[in-house]
Amino acid sequence: MAERVGIVAVAQTKYQPNRDEVNAGELVWETIEPVMKEAGVRFTNDDGDGDIESIVTCSQDFWDGMTISSMGVMSFTGGHHATEDKIAEDSLNALFAAYAQILSGHFDMVLVSTHTKESMGDRSIIESAAFDPVMMRPLGLDFFIAAALQARRYMDKYGVTAEQFAKVAVKNRGNGMKNPVAQEPMNITVEDVLKSKMLVDPIHQLDTKPISDGSIAMILAREEKAKKLTNKPIWITGVSNCYETHYLGDRDLAECDALVTAARRAYKMAGITLPAKEIDIAEIADEYSYQELLWMEGLGLCGRGEAGRLIDAGVTQIGGKLPVNTSGGMLSGNPNVVAGMARVAESVLQLRGEAGERQVPGASVALAHGTTGACGAHQCVMTLSNK
Amino acid sequence: MANEPAQEYIQVTYKKPRPYRWAAGEYLSRLYRECRDNKRLMTVKCQHCNEHVWPPSKVCGRCKKPSGDNWVVVSDKGSVVQFTYTNFPMFDPHVGKYMTEEHPFATIDLDDCEIYWVAKLEEKDKDKLKPGMRVQAVWREEGRGGGLDHDILYFRTIEE
Ligand SMILES: [Zn+2]
Repeated sequence: MAERVGIVAVAQTKYQPNRDEVNAGELVWETIEPVMKEAGVRFTNDDGDGDIESIVTCSQDFWDGMTISSMGVMSFTGGHHATEDKIAEDSLNALFAAYAQILSGHFDMVLVSTHTKESMGDRSIIESAAFDPVMMRPLGLDFFIAAALQARRYMDKYGVTAEQFAKVAVKNRGNGMKNPVAQEPMNITVEDVLKSKMLVDPIHQLDTKPISDGSIAMILAREEKAKKLTNKPIWITGVSNCYETHYLGDRDLAECDALVTAARRAYKMAGITLPAKEIDIAEIADEYSYQELLWMEGLGLCGRGEAGRLIDAGVTQIGGKLPVNTSGGMLSGNPNVVAGMARVAESVLQLRGEAGERQVPGASVALAHGTTGACGAHQCVMTLSNK
Repeated sequence: MANEPAQEYIQVTYKKPRPYRWAAGEYLSRLYRECRDNKRLMTVKCQHCNEHVWPPSKVCGRCKKPSGDNWVVVSDKGSVVQFTYTNFPMFDPHVGKYMTEEHPFATIDLDDCEIYWVAKLEEKDKDKLKPGMRVQAVWREEGRGGGLDHDILYFRTIEE
């Protein structure tokens, strides 16, 4: 069996809108300082003395409004005269990169840092720039409108309902009430969601996440080192990503083949054959409420068109058989890009038994999911274990 | 075929700007306030290496540790290290237009500190530009607080 890689320290900011008092670097420092302290490690200086051997940052140029969006945070991540790479996708892929760096044998310890200040720019204009400028961008499409098309197709093909989407929003924003870093936790009802403003049919205001600013840092280490640094290392047992296709017209939006493939590969690495049985908690990208259900199906946690029935039956709530998004999810407020590592941060807390009021007793295997682009164009899946 | 018309290739263009508001943050905001209100440059001296951190930052990139709170005034005089000038107009992103008045760019070694700063020179006569020439900042009469290039117009040659 290959050597393992463990997550030894985790810190996340409280997710908030409009952090106008800090620049990106200062926002990142709010999580860098705590993880360095938690792990008791130092940056490497010019003489090669220190612990962190490589830095992987994760941010996106259009959200940051500058090319080389890692530039403004480099002083804060120990990047000066250091090995540094930037991932411009959902941050779950940054963990994937750091994991691969350690398995390559080059490094024993890698710092991963992600940030986004969504409040700096205009979401719709930024997302619209993700579409190719020659063909799709002239439509004025953004991810939100694309998501609404996907939600509608999912409803039509599999009979999932607006009420079932609303139940996801109720559950996740309710879970957020128990998470001190959640931005917009809410005690709401299905009726509240359905009565909230219809933004892009069939997605209501409360079916979507708020604009959010935040950062997360983690330290990953080779098994032997990880065990020395913490008595609660959380192991990455499987990870994979898979790209769908850019043109929405190439896809049946009710299907998520890339996610099926990414999950299959990650489960194979982890030796998971019955994901719904073997996974104790799942953190799934839920920028829009319908996505939690659709991605659950893509992740093989139930059959196609069955996720709606699981939310009806309470299977995915805290106390259910397979709690999903105990953190409160993106719906309670996580920035894009940062979202994937927020899924892992919650997984780590749950597997360490440190999730407070929302703790799932005995949770031992977690699933984290992150997605980049419109309608899940790029999918990343990671499994984690405390054993 | 020699007589066939040239193939026409289409270009798609957009005019809409992408609006952002970038937070200067705790340390740069202090510098910008000093420029706007007191027409002076300030930064922190790192509590570990005792060097000026430029631009001011909560963390010293060299030491990879917090810079601390030792704020000091920095001279707005210095010596030109190297310079260059353009023969085409530069774009001013603040106003979304090309600048009508061109000035040479220079790196300036500010006095009594370890700061090299890229700024513009007032002097446009290239025969008068030379490394080592002494210069001083010319401050905009009414500070704007939108960053150094809003509040410092350029560096003027001085005789000493
Ligand atoms: Zn220093």
